[in-house]
Amino acid sequence: MRRWGYRHVITPLVENMDVLDLGLGVDQRRRLFKFTDARGDIVALVGERTVPVARLVAGKLRGVPLPLRLCYAGPVVSTDEARFHHRRETYQVGAELVGASGAVADAEVIALAARCLEATGIRRYQIDVGHAEFFHGIMDAVRLPEDAKSAVRAALAARDFVALEALLEGTPLKSAEHELLLRFPALRGGPEILEAAGGLVRNRRSEAALSELARVRELLGAHGIGDVVILDLGAIRDFDYYTGVTFEGYGPDFGRPVAQGGRYDGLLARFGRPAPATGFVVQLDLVSEMLTRATRPPALPRLEAAVAWTGAGLDTALRLGSTLRLFGMRAVVDTEARGPAQARTWWRAVGAANLVHCRGDAQVAWTADGERTRTLPPEQVAARLAGGAA
Amino acid sequence: MTVSIALPTGALMGGALELLSRSGLMTVSAEELGRQLLVERSDLRAILVRPADVPAYVDHGAADLGIAGKDILWESPGSHYELADLCFGACRLVLAVPDGSLFNGPETWPPLLRIATKYPKTTTAWFEARGQAVEVVQLHGSVELAPQVGLVDGIVDLTATGRTLRENGLRIAGVLGASTARLIANQASLKTRTGPVQAVVSRLREAAGG
Repeated sequence: MRRWGYRHVITPLVENMDVLDLGLGVDQRRRLFKFTDARGDIVALVGERTVPVARLVAGKLRGVPLPLRLCYAGPVVSTDEARFHHRRETYQVGAELVGASGAVADAEVIALAARCLEATGIRRYQIDVGHAEFFHGIMDAVRLPEDAKSAVRAALAARDFVALEALLEGTPLKSAEHELLLRFPALRGGPEILEAAGGLVRNRRSEAALSELARVRELLGAHGIGDVVILDLGAIRDFDYYTGVTFEGYGPDFGRPVAQGGRYDGLLARFGRPAPATGFVVQLDLVSEMLTRATRPPALPRLEAAVAWTGAGLDTALRLGSTLRLFGMRAVVDTEARGPAQARTWWRAVGAANLVHCRGDAQVAWTADGERTRTLPPEQVAARLAGGAA
Repeated sequence: MTVSIALPTGALMGGALELLSRSGLMTVSAEELGRQLLVERSDLRAILVRPADVPAYVDHGAADLGIAGKDILWESPGSHYELADLCFGACRLVLAVPDGSLFNGPETWPPLLRIATKYPKTTTAWFEARGQAVEVVQLHGSVELAPQVGLVDGIVDLTATGRTLRENGLRIAGVLGASTARLIANQASLKTRTGPVQAVVSRLREAAGG
């Protein structure tokens, strides 16, 4: 994320409830681990980091001109076991782009999320892109009394399409929007879905959302991730929180999203610095679970060199270790003196690709995996290893 | 691409197997599935699990689809999509009290009601919505016995015909909800394996409607 110009920020582990009250919804507040501090104030353990970042932008970074690109990583906790799938803690890596609106900013954050997923070693993934305004437009246009609308919202939030159908069938006035709501989970696919939905909606809000989605999709093509993007008009997200483009990242054969994000233009105003914002989190523990369960788990990065020494070889060993690291290699220098035979045993235990055994200044013994030992000056070993690594 | 579906043992199993067969997706006898627990035929894998476990299999992605009674879904809200009413296995979740009980409606309930049930979440929520304090005793079977031995004032349980209740000297004093078998789907399956999963969904939907 550094390469995308996002600055790493560290937000507090423990926050005052009064502050969190400003940014979190009722449900989110209820899920926090809360306790009282020595003064009797109610404090909570970090449950998510978007609100703390918003507070940072509106507070300490108030003087810094927008847009701000910030990222973070760390564990978050929740009392609601179902939320993190029966564990209290999950590890989230996330980023927020604050102060930029429009499709270009939306696409940047989605592309960054996609690259983050790739960086974890996931080979296949898909990003579902939706838009909260598409849903809001439908709800505006659908002809229902206000209490029925809130029941419709509740049924959708619970993903209960049986209840939704019953609610919508009970109303006399049918509109194109009725049909769209019932087909909500199926409203997904490539660009053709935008046209299909465009032919059905008759309200400005939804139409604007569709044209924005079309633009974001084009931009994601330019970002080089067009082939993993699927448009999902029926994405069911927290519609009170998200105000624009939303997205979710899915891995293969894994029953839940591993990345989630979207635009939330309303949050910063609650902290006194109104600004558009968009961001995402990757659930790193879910990603790691998915990777370890894959049929061909990606190989963990291997140590390039184990550097052993005896007697006068220590200085050479330390110098060689530094040189290899300068070339970006992973090198471990032994903490004890060992003879050649013991060094081999240690090498196997460490699991490095190469063993270099230093006995003096002039010559070192270099053994690569599966090859015979060669005796060379240390500079030449470093050069050859660097050449092989590059 | 194989699509997997979790089927419940017990009262809904017969209806579920009949629906599968009517939809042309798979014909398997209760005996065979009961013995093998996992049967796979031409791109459809059926797994047999306890009714209350169906949402767990689906939410965690071990099954793409599942058939579960609405009563189970009330107790285990999760990340699954509830896609269709399969229109079989109809029953009601009711409040039942002993025949001689004076509890006829909310105005006659005591300050604290003791209720035995297999459905603690639904029961608590229902009484809470009516402003009634309730002590829920969670049982796992023979719930209708509890009031007779003085454990509780009443029970909340599932009934299709009301016969078991009558035989145990209980009468219905309130209805918490009506339940039928529902088709549920894993959220990621709908998104990452849309084609094959939706194909199975629409065939089941068709067979249930017909």
